[in-house]
This record gives sequence, structure tokens and C-alpha cells, in this order.
Amino acid sequence: MLKHVRATLLLEALTLVICAVIYPAFLLGVGKLLFPSQAEGSLIDKSGKPVTNPDEAVGSSLIGQTFADEAHFQTRPSATSPGYNAAASAATNWGANNPLLRDRVARIIGPIAKYADGPQKGQPVGPDVEKWFQQDLVGGKEKGIVAAWAKNYPTLATNWVKSDPLITEFVAGWMKEHADAVAKFKSEHDGAEPQPPDMAGDFFESFVKTSPGAWPSIQEEKAADGTATKSVKPVTTGSDIQTYFFDMWLQEHADAKLEKVPADMVMASGSGLDPHITLKNAEYQTDRVAAAWAARTKQDEGKIKKEIQELLKQKADSIMGGKIRTWIVNVLEVNLALEDKFGSQVVSDK
Amino acid sequence: MWTLPVLILAVTFALAVPIGLFMAWIFDGRYRAPAWLGGLERRIDTGPQDWKDYAIAMLVFNVAIFIVGFLVLVLQPWLPLNPDGKKMLAPTMIFNTVCSFLSNTNLQHYSGEVHLSYFSQLFFICWKQFITPVIGLCALVAIIRGLRGDRDMGNFYLDLWRGVVYLFLPLATIVAVLLIAGGSPMTLEGNAKVATLETGVMGAAPDGSANPQEIARGPVAAVVAIKQLGTNGGGFFGANSAHPFENPNPYTNFLTCMCIILVPVSTLVMFGRMLKDYRQAGVIFAVMLVLSATTIIWAVSFDSAQPNPALIAHEAESFKIPDLAAETGERDVPWPAVAGLPVDQQLGNLEGKELRFGTAAGPTWAALTTNSSNGSVNAMHDSLNPLAGLTPMTGMWLNCIWGGVGVGFINFFIYLVIGVFLAGMMVGRTPEYLGKKVEGREMKLAMLALLIHPLMILGPTGVFAATDWGNKSTNNPGAHGFSEILYEFTSSSANNGSGFEGLADTYGFNDNPTPAPFAPQWDIACGLVMLISRFVPIIAPLAIAGSLAAKKPTPFTAGTLRTDTLTFGMFLLGTILLVGALLFLPAAVLGPVAEHWGPIPFGW
Repeated sequence: MLKHVRATLLLEALTLVICAVIYPAFLLGVGKLLFPSQAEGSLIDKSGKPVTNPDEAVGSSLIGQTFADEAHFQTRPSATSPGYNAAASAATNWGANNPLLRDRVARIIGPIAKYADGPQKGQPVGPDVEKWFQQDLVGGKEKGIVAAWAKNYPTLATNWVKSDPLITEFVAGWMKEHADAVAKFKSEHDGAEPQPPDMAGDFFESFVKTSPGAWPSIQEEKAADGTATKSVKPVTTGSDIQTYFFDMWLQEHADAKLEKVPADMVMASGSGLDPHITLKNAEYQTDRVAAAWAARTKQDEGKIKKEIQELLKQKADSIMGGKIRTWIVNVLEVNLALEDKFGSQVVSDK
Repeated sequence: MWTLPVLILAVTFALAVPIGLFMAWIFDGRYRAPAWLGGLERRIDTGPQDWKDYAIAMLVFNVAIFIVGFLVLVLQPWLPLNPDGKKMLAPTMIFNTVCSFLSNTNLQHYSGEVHLSYFSQLFFICWKQFITPVIGLCALVAIIRGLRGDRDMGNFYLDLWRGVVYLFLPLATIVAVLLIAGGSPMTLEGNAKVATLETGVMGAAPDGSANPQEIARGPVAAVVAIKQLGTNGGGFFGANSAHPFENPNPYTNFLTCMCIILVPVSTLVMFGRMLKDYRQAGVIFAVMLVLSATTIIWAVSFDSAQPNPALIAHEAESFKIPDLAAETGERDVPWPAVAGLPVDQQLGNLEGKELRFGTAAGPTWAALTTNSSNGSVNAMHDSLNPLAGLTPMTGMWLNCIWGGVGVGFINFFIYLVIGVFLAGMMVGRTPEYLGKKVEGREMKLAMLALLIHPLMILGPTGVFAATDWGNKSTNNPGAHGFSEILYEFTSSSANNGSGFEGLADTYGFNDNPTPAPFAPQWDIACGLVMLISRFVPIIAPLAIAGSLAAKKPTPFTAGTLRTDTLTFGMFLLGTILLVGALLFLPAAVLGPVAEHWGPIPFGW
């Protein structure tokens, strides 16, 4: 037995030195000498040139970022928290049967969906969704769309309560005013204390009574001194309606011909950090991006659009002409190129 | 769509031939080490061992790495190379992680970039990913020596040294350098904090200034290379090979996907060479290839060539569910029609997929990583289309297609023994393999090794699915939730390590105020399953080989059942499929198959 222990200890010590010290040390050397940029995380600066000092960088060419500006191409949905958090990669891990997956996709599509055919071809669907919401008739007959939504899609209602701290707080406030509902929950759940998401159903039941035909939405108000405050208010118009009620509208208008959006625009990546979008996705976004730059540079939109399309063609890349991989573009690199091209031509309003 | 998988398999097979021959050469000790290495080898070599001695050496060594591993993780906050100040992990999570990396499973309840320091990544993850696959390989080499009737089974310590230093070290170095060139970081600097192009998209700090984007990095290439080559799968980052730093582009994807099965396929060549019987190896290769190709075709067809059913239209349906109160014992649940969302899904299911690798890269990888016992992922298996999700599970249930380094072949050896026995019974002859009689003792050991796998999967799955431990830990509803539980134990028992990662099984740091509620249960149950399913199926075959080695070879006659023919190959394939189907078909129907038939979405 002693023989075994001795041999084991010797071998462990040797392999530890070889595998955990010599091997990584050699690779660190290779990285430093031959591939300094890659070894430090492929950081790039504003001009797109590789740098090794994070202070000079605007990101990594391998890691995506969130882009909210209309004038930038936008990356895929990200499951990290907040989006594109490169310190903690994450995926949704939602399966096909998960209602949250369909709901996320529907909510992204709602505000951008367009008709593909018919007299309204090219027109956005959103205003029709709002009109339908304001009529407040389920299936054209029964009153009360919000009530039906909360009753038919309880998972989504629960998810809505969790979607923003302001909303959670709002529902918590409602719980304080409705001790009877809380008591009822307790008696049905062996005295367990309910959290705001647990009360989503009861909340909506009471909300539709006090604000019939409206939806509780986060609204920003500017006070006279310019400070903005956010609070939850009942509304009947706005992007929240187009977001949350697009799918319900669609169920009633199943034969509406709508323009298809590229899948990578609505499907989240595995790491939550995917730096790419497909060329198709970029082309789909080009109208919006071109319009934004045209407004800012006070130039012709058609000309700008052509230049952007040219840029995308330059930046797009595939493997074996799409046999192995389709055409994709690196979003950060394209946006840096846009800034480089148009940023200096921006005309200030004043 | 099919170009990528075909290329990956073809190039791997071509490379496996020289590597397999090289492996036979080093494990047969036919090389002359330079003087200084030779001196070391003589100090490591404790002399010839029989199967019991070999098994004891293996166990002693494993106990020692268990202790070292435990110490490294427990002491993490006080050890060097911790630029981002990682704290101590929860005790059950340490137990789980140590079992996981000891058993070459590399199941990760932690998330690499969040929970581990660079010291832990190198002295725990990297080190264990070098030695644990070699332990499996040692066991296989010993079994081969037993089968060919050597007087002893060699020396465990010497075999381990040869595997680590002569085989995996050079291979990993080459792959790691290529990975760095492709974009994998290799640095000891902490997270890079960069100002984003648009200010404020990462939220604001309490003082009102915009947060930077914090980019985790580290000695990534070193860990990723050995994780792929050693059928390990324990990634540097939580997202594993889907993370752009672990797998920066389609070329690194091709390389690392190849590495998954490179050494397992090479062991077949080694087997043929060491036994001087390439026909036997050829039959085994053919059976494995048929199974592997089937799983790849299945996964790609249902995932890359099909849209994600979450977004498409479904007709109105009616489901019958059991209801004791009803007269007929069941009642109808009507399900309304669902309209399709306007999404262009030409590229197949993109949820949980990265765009840079290529259309079929995700499902191909999913098949290969579970054919072998690698368990790394470049797409999230939880989000595969329902039927495509059956591929990784089937691979792990059979657990003998390519398999883990060494142990995959050992699992196959169990099926061989059973196949020989069944065939022998059918033609009414005493079953033989390689001229040695297979008798009662060998069969008992083979059955023990075979049955431990379904027992360790179905038993705990049943317990967890029936209690809050399981059904309050899933993040998907209905059948898919059941699949998550089933997958976790399948992966643990197959020593694979991939996961339907939506399962809430992460405790986090010891002071985490909001851990997953049942994380300790998952940590301990999976830890035990991994250990049992690792060591029983290694030691039992060693004992079989030891007992076969002691038998006199029977002469080869016209009546001998030949095991190197196409007929036997087909018979073996049938045996594997039949045994696998009998064991796991009911579970498959309750999980992925039920999800496929709907309703989708489930329980809106």
C-alpha cells in the first residue's frame, strides 16, 4: 500500500506541475509573443483597430453589445442580465413548448410587424392592434380584452409582473390595498405569504374593474423643472399595447398576411453574447438605420441607404458561399463603420 | 447543411489512424525515452500489476485527486491568481464539482466565469481534464492486455504518465495554439472593463455614471483545448463552446468539434494494432459509425431543417387525459388553434444557437458530444427542437458510440460480451470472444456494469420528478420539464456533463442569499450518481478481462462463432438497439416525444 501512496503522490505532483504550470505558461508566452491582441480578448478601439488596453477599447470584436440607437444595427435578443453582460454568459434554455419563448418573439415583432400583402401592404400592423384594443371586444363579441388576456395567458401575466421593478412595486402596492385577496391566497396555499407575481391573476381581475379597457403601462412624466419620473398608469395607446397584444390580435386575425422577420432578430443566442446578425437581418434593419442617419445628416435617404447597403456587402462574410454558413455581419464592426462614415456629417439642429 | 458533418467525420477518421498507431506504440512501450525522462519513468513505474493491483492503484490515485481537488476549491478565496475576487463556493456545489471532474463527467452546476478563479481553472479544471480521461484510457489498455493474454496488465502509474505526457500534452498544445490564433484569450489579466459604443446600455452605477461592459477572460485556450480532446467538456465559461471566447469562429468550431471524437476513434485503431486484429476493430468501428451517423442525421433533420415549433401555426386539437372522477376514466381537454408568428425560419431553429458556426453546427455537435462522453455544447440543448433533443439523450443512454476516452470502448466491450453470449446461446455453443470462453462469472459482471446505468438514470429521475426537488426546479413546463430532469441524471450517469441547462441546480457562492431552492439535493444526487456510474463500469470490465486472461485459449475451429464479420456486426447493432430501447423507450416517450406531439405552447 505504501508503494501505491508513494507512486500516487509523485505522479500527482509531476502532473500538477506539467498540466497546471508548464503547459499554461508556455501558452501564455505564445499568446504574448505571437497573438497579443487575441490573447487579451480581441479588444478594438473606435477606429476598429486592435488594442490591448481596455481603457482605449470600445469593446471586443468577438463579443456583442446592446445597441438601442435607431441609427445603429441592433444585435440579437440576449438572455444575460442586463443584455450582453460578458461577465456572466447565459441562454434562455427555453424549450419549444415554453409559452415565454413564443411571447418574447411576439413582443419583439409587435411594434415592427408590417403587412406583406393587400391594400395595406408595407404598412405597420401596430396601429391596427391599438384600434382593436380600443374596441375592447374579444372575438368581436365579448367585452374585456385585458381580462381575457390575463385569464387565458396566466404565465404571461405572471411574467409581466416580474418584467420591471416598477411593475412589481406597483402590484405590491395593490396587494397592500387588497388585504382580502392576499388573505384568500394564504388560505388556499397553507398560509404561504404571496409574492407579487403570485397575485398576477387577482391583480388583473381587480384592475379591469377600476380601469376597464386599459392596460397598466410604465409612463414617463416630465415635471416643470425637467426631472423625469416614471410610474405605472392605465393607457389605451402606445407601444406597450402593440407589444403585449400583438399575439392576441394575431390569434383573431390568423389569415392576415404579414412580412416575415428574420429568425435571428427574435431568437436569442446560446451565449447571450453573439456578436453577429445575419445579412438578411441587417438588410431588414437598413430602412430604419438609413432614415435615422438621413435625418441626422440632412441628406437624401435613398443615397444613404445605398451607401449602407454597399457597406454591408463589404462586411458580410460566409463559408463556402453559404453551404456551411450563411452570410453574417459583425454588428459592432458595422456600427463603428457607420459612425466613421456618417458621424462627422451630422448636422446639429441649432 | 450536410457538408459540415461529413467533413468533420472524414477529417477525424483520417487523423485517427496515425494517432491510434502512435498510442499503441507508446502504451506498448516500444519507444526509447531520452535519459532524463527515462529516469523519471523508472521512478514512476512500480512494476507489473494484475487486474486487482491495477484497480487498486487506480482507486488510490483517484482518492488522492479527490482530496487535492477538494482543497483547491475550498481554499479558492485565499489562493493566488484571483484578480476578480471569487469567493468560496457552497459546500454541496464543491462536492458536486469535485465528483464531476473526478469522474471525467465535468457536469457544471457552477458557471466558470462567475464562480472560479484562474487558479481553480488551472489547478483544478485544467489539471483534472488532463488526467481523468487518461485514467479511462489506462483501464482500456489494461483490458486489451488482458484480452490478448499478457501475463500482467501493465503498470497503472506508468500508463497514466505515458497518456498525459506523450499523448494529451502535445495534442492539447497544438490545439490551444490554434485556438489562440483564432481568438481565444490566454491571459491572467482580470475582466476587461470597456466603455461601450453607446453609453449607458449596461445600466448606471449608483453614482449615476454609465456602467462599462465587463468582459470576462482568462487562460481560456489552455482549458478549452484539453476539455475538447479529453472528452471532458468542462468549459471555462458558463455558455461553454457557445461562448465567443471558447469558440471564436467556424474554423475553431470545426477544430474543436473534431477533437471531441478524435481520441475515442483513435482508440479503435489502437485496439486493432495492439491485438494485431484490425478486423475486430473494423466491425466495432462500423457499428459505431452507423449509430453515430444516425444520431447526427436525426438531429440535423429535426433541428436545422425544421422551424422551431414554438412559432409556427398549430391546428386545434383535443387531448385525452386520465381523470378518475370521469366515468370513462379520462376526459377531453380541447386546445384552441394557434396562429403562426411571421418569422422567417429558413435557417432552422435558432434559439440557443450562435450564428458564426454554420447552420448544422449545433445539432452536429450535440450528436457528437453525446456520442462520446464529452458534454461540451456549442448550442443550448434545452432549446433544441423536441425531437432533436432526443439525439443527445439517446447517445448518452447507449453510451457506447465512440464514447469517452477509453471508457467508451469499455462500455462497448460490455455490449460485445453480451452480444457474444446471446449469439452463442442462439446457435447452442459456448460463447467465446477472442478465443476465450465467456461464462457465468463474466456474464454476471457484464450485467452489473450494464444495469448500473439505467438504474442510476431512471431511479433518481423518478424520485425527483415525483417531488418538489425536481418539478420545482425546471424552467420549462410539461413534458419538457420532465426531459430536463431526465437529461440531468442521464448526463450524470453517462459521465457526459452536458445539460438541459434550464434546470435550477446552481447554489453559487456560499453566501449567496438566493440560491436555487433545491440546489443541494441536485448537487448531492448527481455527485453520487457520477461516482457510482464511473467506477462500477470501469472495475467490472477490468475483472472480466482479468478472468478472461487467466483462461486457456480455445482453438479456432469451423464451429467458432466469428466476431469479426458483417453478420456479427449487424447482430451487435441489434443487441445495442434492443437493450437500449427496452430500457429507455418509456422515458423517451414521456419526455421529448410527448413534447413533440404538443400542445405547443404548453400551459400559456
